[in-house]
Amino acid sequence: MGMFKTAEEFEKVIVGFFNLVADTPLIADKLLKSKMIIRFKYSDPDLIVVIDCSGDKAEVRPHDTDTKEIVEMTMSADIAHRFWFGMVNLTKALTRKEMVAKGPIPKVLKLLPAIKPSYAMYPQYLDANGFEQYNITKAYKPPTA
Amino acid sequence: MLPEFFEFYNPTKVVYEDGVATDLKPELDIIGIKKYFIVSDHIINDLGLVDKVSDGLAEIGFEVTDKYLDVAQDARLNDVKACADQIKASGAEGIISIGGGSVIDTAKAANILFSEGGDLVEDYSGAHTLTRPLKPHVVIPTTAGTGSEVTMVAVIYDEENKEKLVFVDKFLLPNLAVLDPQMTISLPQKMTAATGMDALTHAVEAYVGTQNAPISDAFAIGAIELIFKNLVTATKSGDDVEARGAMLIASTMAGIAFTHSMVGCIHGMAHATGGLYRVPHGVANAIFLPFGMEYNFEEIKEKLARLAIAMGEDTSGLPEEDAARLAIAAVRKLARQLNELDALPIRLRDVGVPEDGLEAIAEGAINDGSSFYNPRDMDEEELLPYIQNAY
Repeated sequence: MGMFKTAEEFEKVIVGFFNLVADTPLIADKLLKSKMIIRFKYSDPDLIVVIDCSGDKAEVRPHDTDTKEIVEMTMSADIAHRFWFGMVNLTKALTRKEMVAKGPIPKVLKLLPAIKPSYAMYPQYLDANGFEQYNITKAYKPPTA
Repeated sequence: MLPEFFEFYNPTKVVYEDGVATDLKPELDIIGIKKYFIVSDHIINDLGLVDKVSDGLAEIGFEVTDKYLDVAQDARLNDVKACADQIKASGAEGIISIGGGSVIDTAKAANILFSEGGDLVEDYSGAHTLTRPLKPHVVIPTTAGTGSEVTMVAVIYDEENKEKLVFVDKFLLPNLAVLDPQMTISLPQKMTAATGMDALTHAVEAYVGTQNAPISDAFAIGAIELIFKNLVTATKSGDDVEARGAMLIASTMAGIAFTHSMVGCIHGMAHATGGLYRVPHGVANAIFLPFGMEYNFEEIKEKLARLAIAMGEDTSGLPEEDAARLAIAAVRKLARQLNELDALPIRLRDVGVPEDGLEAIAEGAINDGSSFYNPRDMDEEELLPYIQNAY
């Protein structure tokens, strides 16, 4: 069992964060320039999220199985979660198949510098939106009854 | 300092001997199949190298089912598809590729379709999308530069969508790399110099990059030593079998190093320059190599000081920074020696790059995937002066 008990909970966390990133011009402008459409296929729990940067605004669409993606990234929810803290060594994750990237890899690599500022945003986002229990950068103590 | 994580995986058997490409019985017996399809190009074929290998195979009881010789200068998607169709129709059980990077990459990608079927772009482009070994692939390089005989990468140009497709997969690693200096003897002087500098760039960037690790470091240093001792001789005296052999081995060692440790800003600048102004990859790498080392200097000076020794420089008693600068000077000296042989341009202005095109190179380099592995953060404004210096 991974860190997220249900797909609904993981969706709340990750889609909320993606929407925050999509509304952050420092990152979103570069994503829009790439015209990239990425499908994230998560497991444990299962969830599909598409980030579509082909239009004027970066759109985040959970459960979208219709849009034709340019790149498909497959990984567990836990790896995705750690990635947004900047804690995943991409080379390691790819060589160990913790992540599988299908599509034009150079375009994915190009986006990495663009999304770097989001690593600092993620723990702040978790704390600010009631997801403190998922902030693995600080020792979390569950509330007592 | 040791890296937090590294993986070293090199299942490709490497054999070296003068003339070994015509006598591969022990190696092919172990692979265990009898029918091979040859992938090469018309230049290699016209030089008689394809026949040399084919005749050798026939003599030791192996069948060449057919040949594909239409590989272009850049490996192209349509060639890959046509090649795969021909391999399937020929009844082959495995592939032998004879050529440089484009031939080898075409054969790697064609092997995906030959072994697995399906749509190359839709089903397999990307990183580690394959799930099982492909059919046997034997590689006989005819240049000493790309190292593709030992890398898990194939780069294919999609003419229709005008983009480079990258396939990264352990299962793309060939079964056997055959290093036979006789196969590179006819390589022209300019190609020898440019491909040799390409191999040097692979080794240097693998060593100084963010993904370096002790095992790939050893291969990088070994490659650098061999290149500094042999590239000028191989360029000046093309029929020097020892120098040719050493360069083949160096290229393979550099290939092993960079398939594990990646490349950085020098390749980023070379990719951009190649894409914008059609400057050959090895030439562009050669031009940018010392300037890329300078761009990264503060982050890599300790490593450069060690590389200076591999480059044959005497660093005894020198402070680290001075020793590191000797490595850059050694690279410049090597390039100048090749330039004096009229075998290698060393300035962007000499290869058709316009002065007003330098900013576009900087922008392209920043956006290149290899910038992710560069030891210093890539910044367009900070990189531009180094590109201007290379002009």
